Amino acid sequence: MEAVKRALDKISVERIKLELLGNAYNSSSTVLGRLDPRTLLIWYLFFAIVPWFMHNRTILLGMFILMAVCTVLARASTFIIFILCLGLITQVGWMFLLSLFFGGGGESVLPMLTLTLKLSVISLASITVFSSLDPERLSDGLSALGVPDAFAFSLSYGYRILPTLLEEFHQILLSFRLRGLRPQKNGMLYWRTAAYYLRIIVLVFYPLMLNTAKRSRTTVEALETRGYNYAVNNPQVKKLKLSYLSLKPRDWMFAGVTALYLIALFTLGTAFPELIY
Amino acid sequence: MSTLKTRYTLTQSQKMMIFVLSMSLYGLSNMFTELIPSVQLGPIELSVEYFAFIPLTLCMLFHPLYAAVGAAVGEIIFGELMLGQFGGLGELEKFITFSLAMYTAGRMVSDPKNRRQVGIAAITGVAIHQFFSSVIDIVKVWVGVEELEAVQGLAESVVLIEGVSFLNDVLFSGILFALLPTLYLVPRLYGKIEPLLGMKPRERNMQYATGAWLSPKLVIVGTLLAAVALGAELMSESGWSFGEFELPGAESNEGSLIWISIAAAALVAAAIILILRRSARRRQEAGQLDG
Repeated sequence: MEAVKRALDKISVERIKLELLGNAYNSSSTVLGRLDPRTLLIWYLFFAIVPWFMHNRTILLGMFILMAVCTVLARASTFIIFILCLGLITQVGWMFLLSLFFGGGGESVLPMLTLTLKLSVISLASITVFSSLDPERLSDGLSALGVPDAFAFSLSYGYRILPTLLEEFHQILLSFRLRGLRPQKNGMLYWRTAAYYLRIIVLVFYPLMLNTAKRSRTTVEALETRGYNYAVNNPQVKKLKLSYLSLKPRDWMFAGVTALYLIALFTLGTAFPELIY
Repeated sequence: MSTLKTRYTLTQSQKMMIFVLSMSLYGLSNMFTELIPSVQLGPIELSVEYFAFIPLTLCMLFHPLYAAVGAAVGEIIFGELMLGQFGGLGELEKFITFSLAMYTAGRMVSDPKNRRQVGIAAITGVAIHQFFSSVIDIVKVWVGVEELEAVQGLAESVVLIEGVSFLNDVLFSGILFALLPTLYLVPRLYGKIEPLLGMKPRERNMQYATGAWLSPKLVIVGTLLAAVALGAELMSESGWSFGEFELPGAESNEGSLIWISIAAAALVAAAIILILRRSARRRQEAGQLDG
């Protein structure tokens, strides 16, 4: 019951705001953070797809070591890594337990271990890349690689509008609470209180939708006055905006080291596919 | 003589408004659902999966394509990137399935005042989304584990876990956070929210100008077919002899059996094409063919 109470405390608007401020814009000081966003994104693309089709355990383990080193270099927050480990353990653990139930035995451990290795390579790659890119560089990198500009716009708009939206949400929520009556008893497992809050949160969206509609009209009209649509469709504007992106020697070095490591790994892996188990 | 019906067309900035509206609202709600804790009962998880009612409502009131894509973008930006848990390519799959499902639900509603239509569309949208994401999760394990058949019970357990979470998401959060709020909001907002964006409300039975080929019928039939195919595959994988039968001589002439099944598939495909063409012609005769 304490846990439920603590969890309800977690949903305070102030806390969300703090969490966000801590999360954004704290990443361009690391070794990986100074690389060109395009290098990082292409590097990530490789490590997000290839491991799925690898069944060679030596190669997978080698990739895992590389990822671990990169995660340390990216100085990813321990909290995120903890969440990742927890998720992997629970997911794979439940599958293993249930497969025992369906008549499997100890021999199911090894394939499960391979699956875990794969999943962790992929998730570590994404943590590495996306924690070393701040939103601005991420959106510029994406639009340099051809992702529609609406995405880049939405990203910056999101950061701009979120505090305002939260403020408004909070106000409407408070006014609902002022006018309403909190349940007298908490009920089993605090379900009455939880249901009360969930109902209010849903109801808040009715006025919020109307307000946001007004605001989004203002936003779009402001954009149009500044010629947004024209700029988006003009290749020269895009070139000007992305002109600061350039591949420096350290990008080539990073790509080269990774490629050499992979070549060595693949030769080793094909020679000794059963190096570990 | 039926008159030409007006198509539902929007200017570029109106599309942008719908996109921005849907993105910021659904993004905001996503931050809350990420933080609301879930109740774990063993492998079964009772959780508020998402506030699907927001994109559903907007898809039914406005052009579904822009509302659906906007909501999917909002989820990625607010719920993942800003909270620092962006999953990379995994999000792409979520993006596609989610916007497809919401779009389908929006297209199913021709009259926002009709509560039955709205309810059916809302629950179908959630079901389509959850179905596709479960299937993708199952396929991921199949691709990822090499000797799937060698591991006793792994295939069954994966399907069981995914099936239970599918049922939870459709029956628990689907009814509480998609069906009921949508039923409450859509008739109430209809006619009120559109003028704020400077546009007329959708008129009843109005046709959409774009994306007519991706009709809700197509998506639902596709989903059902995928379900049947997956079920059949699972049956044969796990060797449950459930209604198993052998054609006489199936052992010897496997080659001809393949031809028979290909012919059957061709027949089905031809039938579907015929039906589609006939409905297109009917619409043309009614004077409201849209590209």
